[in-house]
Amino acid sequence: MSVHHFPRAFGLHAASSPASQRPIPAAAGIGLRLPHHAVVRDSRPAIPWLEVHPENYLTSALADELAAFADRYPISLHAVGLSLGSACGLDLEHLLRLRALERRIRPGLMSDHLSWSLATTNQGPLALPDLLPLPYTEEALTVVVANVDRAQGVLDRRLLIENPSTYLQFEASALSEAEFLAELVRATGCGVLLDINNIVVSALNQGLDPAYVLADYLAMIPPSAIGEIHLAGHAVRDLPGGRRIRIDDHGSRVGLEVWRLFETVAHVLGPRPTLIEWDTDIPELPILLGEAAVAQAILNTATWGQRHA
Amino acid sequence: MPSLFGPDLAALQADMARALLSGRYDGLAAAVQSGPITAEEALGVHRNTALHGLVNALRLDHPTVDALVGADFFDQAARAFIDAHPPTGAWLAGYGEAFADFLAGHGPAGELPYLADVARFDFALEQVGGAVSGLDGPALDLGAARLTLDGSLRLIALHYPAPAIRDAIREDEDRLADLDLRPCRHDLALWRLADGVGVRPIVPASAAFLAAVIAGQDPGDGLAEADLDALQSEVFAAPFVRLSLKT
Repeated sequence: MSVHHFPRAFGLHAASSPASQRPIPAAAGIGLRLPHHAVVRDSRPAIPWLEVHPENYLTSALADELAAFADRYPISLHAVGLSLGSACGLDLEHLLRLRALERRIRPGLMSDHLSWSLATTNQGPLALPDLLPLPYTEEALTVVVANVDRAQGVLDRRLLIENPSTYLQFEASALSEAEFLAELVRATGCGVLLDINNIVVSALNQGLDPAYVLADYLAMIPPSAIGEIHLAGHAVRDLPGGRRIRIDDHGSRVGLEVWRLFETVAHVLGPRPTLIEWDTDIPELPILLGEAAVAQAILNTATWGQRHA
Repeated sequence: MPSLFGPDLAALQADMARALLSGRYDGLAAAVQSGPITAEEALGVHRNTALHGLVNALRLDHPTVDALVGADFFDQAARAFIDAHPPTGAWLAGYGEAFADFLAGHGPAGELPYLADVARFDFALEQVGGAVSGLDGPALDLGAARLTLDGSLRLIALHYPAPAIRDAIREDEDRLADLDLRPCRHDLALWRLADGVGVRPIVPASAAFLAAVIAGQDPGDGLAEADLDALQSEVFAAPFVRLSLKT
């Protein structure tokens, strides 16, 4: 007999029983990705909270690892595969997988995106691993409300729904994105995960002023509904004719436009759980922690400003 | 699966999913507002993201294949596989189940006849590695006793020495040249251990017996007297089997 050992030696002792729920503090956390597992495990950095994509932890071995992290840190589960905008409804099997992980980890927050990835065609279902855009129509709102209601019912918890990064708009759209999300909040009781990088990416790709779009968000969505903020970097690519496209690749430091809008949001809303996301060209952990420290400094200023207003 | 919410959004999503997989966006142009970025450019970003995610999922499940053929060849084979077998579910961990069979018939891979078996072994290791350890699986009533298989047990039949190829790639690629790569049947049992995956060669009769138990069929059918010795040593005493007396 031969034994093929797992490539990483995990020294974490997995929790055998469900963790108790640890709330996510109104502080700056980081997205935990596989390349940082070992260093976070071994060095136990003082991070207020961690967020992971639950779809990466659905196998037994990785669920064990996540349970061990959940013993030490508050955890947020940020899903990418619920496909809440699918007209064909939710993939119940996938939803139940996420529920099993949710029951084990007891995350302080759970979220997914205002997007879709699953469609039904004449040849059967097609699933694409991307966060695809929706037309902001009454029909789409009906679809998303039904799907969010169902997901929240099966999970027995409130979800936060993240504004997507977009590269196009549909002719059929009758509502702004902020109006659409505000209606979704009203109809389902869900919260909003406000991704400021996505606001910048979408606005600039559509020729809009990101500050104007953010103002629309802050006007339309009740402050109490905004339960988390995401910050990330994005890529800028040149197109023919001197045009540019912003690509939401989470592959660099948070850009200046995003920091400026975050300062506005922090001062308007006060401190909220805030996350640094970095998914491609992942740097050494200290760089990620440095970005989180900048975000924390802005949150601290917001706290001071609210106390002394 | 019929749409529950009316035809327009469902039709748009079906058209868009097909267009993103095929790279042909003509039918979508009318649905997209004109803006600083053309519909083709915008949809191209989504196509690249989706394909990158799918190719990467296949690569993670087939690390030895990737190392043997190189990134460019792997990308090309993976893209051809995605065209032939588009994904149907959100969780990509099981997406590559058919990749080994696809490689067996993939013309450009013809120079490496063992590649499909390497893919089969890679995928089985990844799948078993992700399974829960120590859970009971299918069982067989033996009268006074009960034979219970480990829930993670997976059987594969190979015609090339994929485990040796994988070891060589991971430890010392020069050893590949010394391997006997002539076709020869290898039946393997794989199961989850606390810190890895156990791999044990078994004879075809044992494999047939275990496969029947897993399938809920009578494993006694077709069993020859000569096979019983192998069953005794390979199955009844195997670490992936638990024999318990009924009380």
